[in-house]
Amino acid sequence: MLALAPFALPLYAMTLLTEALILGLFAMSLDLMVGYTRLLSFGHAAAFGFGAYASGWLLLHTQISMLCAVPLAALLAGIVAIGVAWVCTYATGVSFSMLTLAFAQLLYAIAFKWTSVTGGSDGLAGIPRRPGPFGFAAFGSRAGFYYLTLIALTAAFAFCRALVHSPFGAVLRGIRENEAKTLALGYNTRLYKIAVVALAYALGGLAGALYAPFAGFANTELVFWLFSGQVLIMVIVGGSGTLIGPILGAAFFLVVEHQLSNYTEAWALFFGLIFIAFVIFAPEGIWGLLTARFGRAGGETR
Amino acid sequence: MLLELDGLTRRFGGLVAVDRVSMKVAEGEVRAVIGPNGAGKSTLFNLITGVIKPSDGTVRFAGEGLTGLSVPRICQRGIARTFQLTALFPEMTARENVRLAAQAREPRHWRFLGGGAIFAKAGKRADSALELLGLTGVADRLAGVLSHGDQRLLEIAMALVQNPRLLLLDEPTQGLSVEETAHAVETLAALLGHGNMTVLLVEHDMEVVFQLADKITVLHRGAVIADGSPQTIRDDTEVQRAYLGGLS
Repeated sequence: MLALAPFALPLYAMTLLTEALILGLFAMSLDLMVGYTRLLSFGHAAAFGFGAYASGWLLLHTQISMLCAVPLAALLAGIVAIGVAWVCTYATGVSFSMLTLAFAQLLYAIAFKWTSVTGGSDGLAGIPRRPGPFGFAAFGSRAGFYYLTLIALTAAFAFCRALVHSPFGAVLRGIRENEAKTLALGYNTRLYKIAVVALAYALGGLAGALYAPFAGFANTELVFWLFSGQVLIMVIVGGSGTLIGPILGAAFFLVVEHQLSNYTEAWALFFGLIFIAFVIFAPEGIWGLLTARFGRAGGETR
Repeated sequence: MLLELDGLTRRFGGLVAVDRVSMKVAEGEVRAVIGPNGAGKSTLFNLITGVIKPSDGTVRFAGEGLTGLSVPRICQRGIARTFQLTALFPEMTARENVRLAAQAREPRHWRFLGGGAIFAKAGKRADSALELLGLTGVADRLAGVLSHGDQRLLEIAMALVQNPRLLLLDEPTQGLSVEETAHAVETLAALLGHGNMTVLLVEHDMEVVFQLADKITVLHRGAVIADGSPQTIRDDTEVQRAYLGGLS
């Protein structure tokens, strides 16, 4: 159904749908940490922003094509995340979350101050969707870019699904439910946590790397803590620990933002109320409600 | 000697929780460690498994020092433990709990693509461990909803499936009813009767200790006050004064 969307939808809806897919990928990447390992990150915008700036910079200042710049930026985000995770995993619980926030704010400060590379408060603008390799230009158009995003999200989803159902994923679940016991069974839990943070940042970076050529710009808002909070809300509203839930949560967030902001400036207030309602009445999120409604085993992808 | 503790000491501020404990446990022996609350039994387990570092003294296992090794490394050397307060993965089924324990002993257990073979092997071992402890009937239920007795047995299954050279059992009958205790002791006696596993057992219930142990070490205020066969310990006057007599 999603594959046919470009033929049926008006242009503005295509743009909104593409953005929803990008944010869905971003939220899903966070779910690896929050839902499957219970590593609460308050700074996941760092992954998105890093990916966006990296791919934006590569497209503006080098001659490599979009199809190379995007995965390269994601890879860089994953590599940087190894260092970040190395430090953050010295702590657990709230301290871990605070450290992720600290690193995101550090990146925000860099994005703001390092004007020669990041454009400072103006950000990077005019980021092109450079075609190639071999003059392959099909992904540059509006519909083409939509398909590129759809392919990236589908591949990332398949990868994450395989991951959480693998022996590696079983250890992550162990860490989520009882880290001391997992350690006592002989697993070096810290290495697992570093690995999952690196993967989550790489996929979050992929989302950001797609966003830069999608929007044509990258600015400091993409690294700001507000965005970290929003993606966490998308995960929780969608249903954490389900992979598909956060994708729905991102789409829901975007649609509600779009609709509410037509009526009121204070749309965030109303979204806050929706969020509170979910936490209290539907902690399993949108996906939890759907699976309960249609009689499938709850959290089937767990 | 499989396990040798030499002058093992752990101080918490002014409190000496474990005070110059030396003991030797031979291969195949079931050794009980008894003593009143606060005698340092659980601290001793935490020292052996690397959860806390000793202030002084050494732990040698199979002729090699364990001092300074991390918890997972010590476990990988062949030491498995259960916890005094049941430690399980409550939202996994009983089988998944044991399978995760078995997986730690598979080579390349961290794989995340093509891990089906690892699951199959670990799952098969998990099933036989569950059977050994009479848990086959509840294998597909979530660990968090099992009866307390089954949860204690499940934790033992998770330790056994790792094929440890040394098994540390921290009060396996803690909080069990009389019937559950009898069942657990019967199961344990059958498992340990073959004499090819070395066990260190912390236990409050003296009936259990005298049924299972080959030798007994008595701790009092962190220090060893007696060491010997169950009969010797039963007859020891100092032990009776510190622990067995009057109070208990």
